[in-house]
Amino acid sequence: MDRRTVLKGLAGASGLALTGGLSAPAIAQGASARTLRFVPQANLANFDPIWGTQYVVRNAAALVWDTLYGVDSSLVPQRQMVESEEVTDDGMTWTFKLRSGLKFHDGEPVLSKDVVASLNRWAARDPMGLMLKAIQQELTAVDDRTFKWVLKQPFPKMLYALAKNNSPCAFIMPERIAQTDPFKQISDYVGSGPMKFATGEWVPGAKAVFEKFTDYAPRQEKASWLAGGKQILVDRVEWVVMPDPATAAAALQNGEIDWWENPIADLVPVLKNNKNINVDIGDPLGNIGSFRMNFLYPPFNDVRARRAVLMAMSQEDYMRALVGDDDTLWKPLPGFFTPGTPLYTEMGGEILMGKRDLDAAKKLLAESGYSGQPVTCLVAQDQPITKAMGDVTADLLKKLGMNVDFVATDWGTVGARRALKTPPGQGGWNMFHTWHAGADCINPAPYTAIRANGDKAWFGWPTSAGTEKEVTSWFEAKNLDEEKAAIGRLNKAAMDDVVYAPTGFFLSYTAWRKNVSGVTKGPLPFFWGVSKTA
Amino acid sequence: MLSYILRRIVATLPVMAIVALFVFSLLYIAPGDPAVVIAGDQASPEDVERIRQSLGLDRPFLIQFGSWVWRLLHGDLGTSIFTNLPVSTLIGQRLGPTLSLMVITLLLTIVVAVPLGVVAAWKAGSFIDRAIMGFAVFGFSLPVFVVGYVLAYVFALQLEWLPVQGYTPLNQGFWPWLQNLILPAIALGCVYIALVARITRAAMLEVLQQDYIRTAKAKGLGQGGILFIHALKNAAVPIVTVIGIGIALLIGGAVVTESVFAIPGLGRLTIDAILRRDYPVIQGIVLLFSFVYVLVNLMIDVTYTLVDPRIRY
Repeated sequence: MDRRTVLKGLAGASGLALTGGLSAPAIAQGASARTLRFVPQANLANFDPIWGTQYVVRNAAALVWDTLYGVDSSLVPQRQMVESEEVTDDGMTWTFKLRSGLKFHDGEPVLSKDVVASLNRWAARDPMGLMLKAIQQELTAVDDRTFKWVLKQPFPKMLYALAKNNSPCAFIMPERIAQTDPFKQISDYVGSGPMKFATGEWVPGAKAVFEKFTDYAPRQEKASWLAGGKQILVDRVEWVVMPDPATAAAALQNGEIDWWENPIADLVPVLKNNKNINVDIGDPLGNIGSFRMNFLYPPFNDVRARRAVLMAMSQEDYMRALVGDDDTLWKPLPGFFTPGTPLYTEMGGEILMGKRDLDAAKKLLAESGYSGQPVTCLVAQDQPITKAMGDVTADLLKKLGMNVDFVATDWGTVGARRALKTPPGQGGWNMFHTWHAGADCINPAPYTAIRANGDKAWFGWPTSAGTEKEVTSWFEAKNLDEEKAAIGRLNKAAMDDVVYAPTGFFLSYTAWRKNVSGVTKGPLPFFWGVSKTA
Repeated sequence: MLSYILRRIVATLPVMAIVALFVFSLLYIAPGDPAVVIAGDQASPEDVERIRQSLGLDRPFLIQFGSWVWRLLHGDLGTSIFTNLPVSTLIGQRLGPTLSLMVITLLLTIVVAVPLGVVAAWKAGSFIDRAIMGFAVFGFSLPVFVVGYVLAYVFALQLEWLPVQGYTPLNQGFWPWLQNLILPAIALGCVYIALVARITRAAMLEVLQQDYIRTAKAKGLGQGGILFIHALKNAAVPIVTVIGIGIALLIGGAVVTESVFAIPGLGRLTIDAILRRDYPVIQGIVLLFSFVYVLVNLMIDVTYTLVDPRIRY
């Protein structure tokens, strides 16, 4: 008997019991309706959204620090802390004016010097920030509410860079905090956002508490993702870390928590059967599963070997291993960009479509010169997503006749080992598994994994001149049509050279009690507009 | 006796130093890198390297170890790589829940297991004996997480008597504190109760066959007096030993129990720290556990002299 079996069995039984009418409030229930208790996707182990870029840190930081702009649910940047902006005709000088009445949590006003310091720290760590920094002439405070960014060449994606929701976001901190080395962690959490971080109540690994910042001045527009009026309707938001999914499910059923960010697929039927609980897709932008092959060493230094794997792989196998039988949670992905977003394309993705051809794949692999050498496949088995995908890949490679060296270990080890450029037999690797948030794959700006500039590229160090050329084309595009054309060509080039192997697009659920209202779908949990009754 | 206790305490220092060196070396050569975890999945290798440098993880082993020992000698357990909080603060936050859980489990074990073992020995071979030993085998065989889930299902979800998860500090009231600990203590205590009950029975059976017990019976002493005054005291040495050794089991079991019942204790802190390669936290916890273990052994030895006057140091 394993832990997962017990967990499913008991949770299932509890679900039946509860639908039978045993859902009266528990003794433990009784927290104030002014406190929203939330179980996040992971432990908030640190709290510097520039230093550490895990999604959970970004999600908490979005409560505590505001941004100059915010993307809305249409993926369009909207003004947030900024009142207005001007750009010169040559596109090289941007002048921004802050809204009046903005305050930090210590009561001090938000000034241009704070913004300049914050942007400098952010730009040292963010890929788009680094691009801006490379073409920056000066970034200066003109007066208390005005600052100016002068560039050496135009950067059409300026507002998107300041608004995007992928980590690290351009959060605005007080100057004294923002002057911290971007590679060192801050320990002062005075923010500019709608909630204050209750430092004294923080128990890393267990609990993080956020209190409503009453002096926050929300915008008047309706809230939409990171944009609009961030109205906080509760006094406190408590993040309760629960590493065990069965415990989180039971606590949600028992009314001990109000909202569980990402219930595992196994327990969703139980929660759906509970009349006190709402279950819905959490993030419509979902995730893209992937495995990356190392371009530096055989067999995957030969494009024919990489294509052979793509010809043989079944995305359905990967997705069923991830989400089970719930067909609403996945779709095939013959491309690299997020389905349902404006730039999504399947151009060049034929190799992933239709019937899988194992014989042709074997033939192509033989042509690549593969002669049975071990293929080192790194799998982080402490992460259910990578573990499931790794098992499918091991089976796939064996069917292809490859000699698989399956290294099942933990994420900390995979993360360190994948950075090694040594040959697989000397500590290096041939392939590893990961996944990307769909929000990070809507265009090339935040999409590190699609870059193919060799040594400078992400792990696997792919080289694809065609892909890189189209990344540049996208950055230079003047309108959506030009962007779409560039992305179509980019998708084909990346697929031809197999920059990486997409294993499919998958979604996950979120669950909350019915006395909570205002929960919206998005790439991160948004707490503005969320209220709770007793 | 006092000099013996002092000698034992002084002797723990080299033990702890060896444990510290061993743990530090093990972590140093183990694969994995906290900078990778900190930087996140999308970070570039350059970012990871910069973070490694800022944390001092690129320095040679001896310098890192020397620096750690130097701080330790000044009473500083170091700072968590991830939270930027002192390790002593993190351990302090987590000590209360774990100690509470262990104390309640220990009390539960002594109150339940010792009488069960005594009764089983007294009724050796009877249905009661077989039922108690059957329960012991059952309790010994079930994994902590299975017992935990069943208890949560019955007493929290079905009957709604107790909460599923969490911990309330004692200073917020005795009942709120206790109600969060009852289910985890039972889950954690099952194996422990089974172990102690079996040892108690075996020790009691041996003692009950002694001549002085026969004499006591011949004098007309009541069963209670024979069992709990004459027999139990003389059977106490192995029972005390197994209770002491069981504390090590509790530490291991607490890791799972704290996870199942979402108790913010040292067990969960340890697992989190190991998965993230938060070296200073791991080192601090291992040192603490080593110290506790040495102290528990010392207390067992001292207790021997109390229950058996023939033992002298």
